[in-house]
Amino acid sequence: MTPRARRHVASRRVGMAALHVVLVFFALSQLFPLLWVLLYSLQKSGDLFGDALLSLPHDPQWANYTRAFTEGGMVSYGLNSLIIVTISTALSTVFSFCMGYAVARMTWRLKRLAFAAITLGMVVPIHATLLPNFLWYNLFGLIDTRIGLIIPYVAFTLSFNTLIYIGHFQNLPNALEEAALLDGASWPRILWSVVAPLARPATVTVAVMTSLTNWNEFIMANTYLASDELRTLPFSIIRFQGLYSSDYATQFACMLIVAVPALALYLFFSKHIMAGATAGAVKE
Amino acid sequence: MPADPTRSRVTIALLVVPGLAVIAFSLIVPLGLSVYYSFTDSAGFGEFQNVGFDNYKTILTDDPEFWRSLRNVMLLIVATIFIQNPIAFVLAAVLSRLSARLSQILRTIYFVPAVLSLVIVAKLWVDVFNPTFGILNKLLRAVGLDAIAMSWLSDPRTALPAVIWIILWQGFGWAVFFFYAGLMTVPRDLEEAARVDGASWFQVYVRVIIPYLFPVLSTVVVIDVISSMKQMELIYLTTAGAPGQLTQFLSVYLYQKAFVAGEYGYGNALSVLFVVISVGFTLVVQRVMRARLR
Repeated sequence: MTPRARRHVASRRVGMAALHVVLVFFALSQLFPLLWVLLYSLQKSGDLFGDALLSLPHDPQWANYTRAFTEGGMVSYGLNSLIIVTISTALSTVFSFCMGYAVARMTWRLKRLAFAAITLGMVVPIHATLLPNFLWYNLFGLIDTRIGLIIPYVAFTLSFNTLIYIGHFQNLPNALEEAALLDGASWPRILWSVVAPLARPATVTVAVMTSLTNWNEFIMANTYLASDELRTLPFSIIRFQGLYSSDYATQFACMLIVAVPALALYLFFSKHIMAGATAGAVKE
Repeated sequence: MPADPTRSRVTIALLVVPGLAVIAFSLIVPLGLSVYYSFTDSAGFGEFQNVGFDNYKTILTDDPEFWRSLRNVMLLIVATIFIQNPIAFVLAAVLSRLSARLSQILRTIYFVPAVLSLVIVAKLWVDVFNPTFGILNKLLRAVGLDAIAMSWLSDPRTALPAVIWIILWQGFGWAVFFFYAGLMTVPRDLEEAARVDGASWFQVYVRVIIPYLFPVLSTVVVIDVISSMKQMELIYLTTAGAPGQLTQFLSVYLYQKAFVAGEYGYGNALSVLFVVISVGFTLVVQRVMRARLR
């Protein structure tokens, strides 16, 4: 190798090393607040006010977690979240599967209008519906009920989910459905035993993303629910902050308990979430 | 058997009516109601009167908070496009050259803040920025910069940048992800041809890859606009517009007007303008981007 070529290789290596440092720096910056909270969730609140920049939990205070769990009302909030997320995800998935199929595969006159309504749901911010919906839902006695939160949770995930299904169906050959139709199979049968299995990848994406969105949702729950018995998990953080404003260590534990299910869902299904995100981006 | 089963009206109705009914009930009717209430002086309960265009007149001619919150949304869009996006693009470009495994691990990490509840993200940063125990001030003191250790979210000089920072941080994983997905679609021989012609890496990106990815980049810009408009919770849960309305955003402002100040009619007028601006701005950006594509 000539000295010049060697120098070139060396400088490439330094360049690559520098780029790696940058990549790791950003990875740390994305995780750092979470790690900081994790570290101090296992110490006494007073340790946070010490001079040390960071200190390791030498004597882990697991009691912080039990206190967050019991006094943060995790069981009741968690159960509410579970009920509301499960029902809204199931409904949103079924409705968007049906709409997606009808838009992608069937011929009807008001399709363009329906499609416009669906895309409107992608662009209009939820926050613009909070004010009118508060009075509108109240008219039907839906304020401060679980159904009153499930309905908007379905409504505001439907648009995105339907677009994912439409994208999926457009890339799917319809030979199997045609064959089934020629055999005289009924529509419910075709949708359930021919189309649904073929749509499975899209269904997983839709179900995971809807669960995640609704599990984390705060502002609609904050607006439409008033009684503490109905509130969802994110409220445990706010409640704890209000009740034990100086108990930072337990507040941190509380945040981590709420974060863990979402993080687990994400780690298990990250491929599906990414696939969904791509589909969403392409459609927008 | 009907002539064409894909035209079966009963089937189509059964498939689309439930979904469309939910959208109509929770999105379309409320938007109509919002327009209706925007012409009243309703407080959200009790009797109210029609006031014509008064609310709109006040907003446009005599409400500095409205204009400030609009300006802040624009600042957020600009910061997203010119600060977050370039960094995310460079990182995505580097990631696309790493081994598949390493790149996947890093992308998974970058995306973590995007899957956390906004309540958690808000509280995380309120604590990081805390003037007494927050890690940021401790870090500054540790390196002798006591002078600039401050209460980031309540100091008028830093509150808005701090809030924007939180939003950019939370959305960073999405940006990296979009650019990475786009970069994966660039055909290998396109850049190899340029390399053979003696172009440096920098030139390959500027002259070949970025022009090739223009459709992706313009989609990202449209998404930036939509998602900036949709920011609310992170502001509501960190500063709620304080200090002195400096960090006010439209989405938070209309909420506070209606539910805190009790000016429900006025809040709805803000809400209607908010929808018009969001949809209108999105359409304009989309048009401009499409025009440039041709």
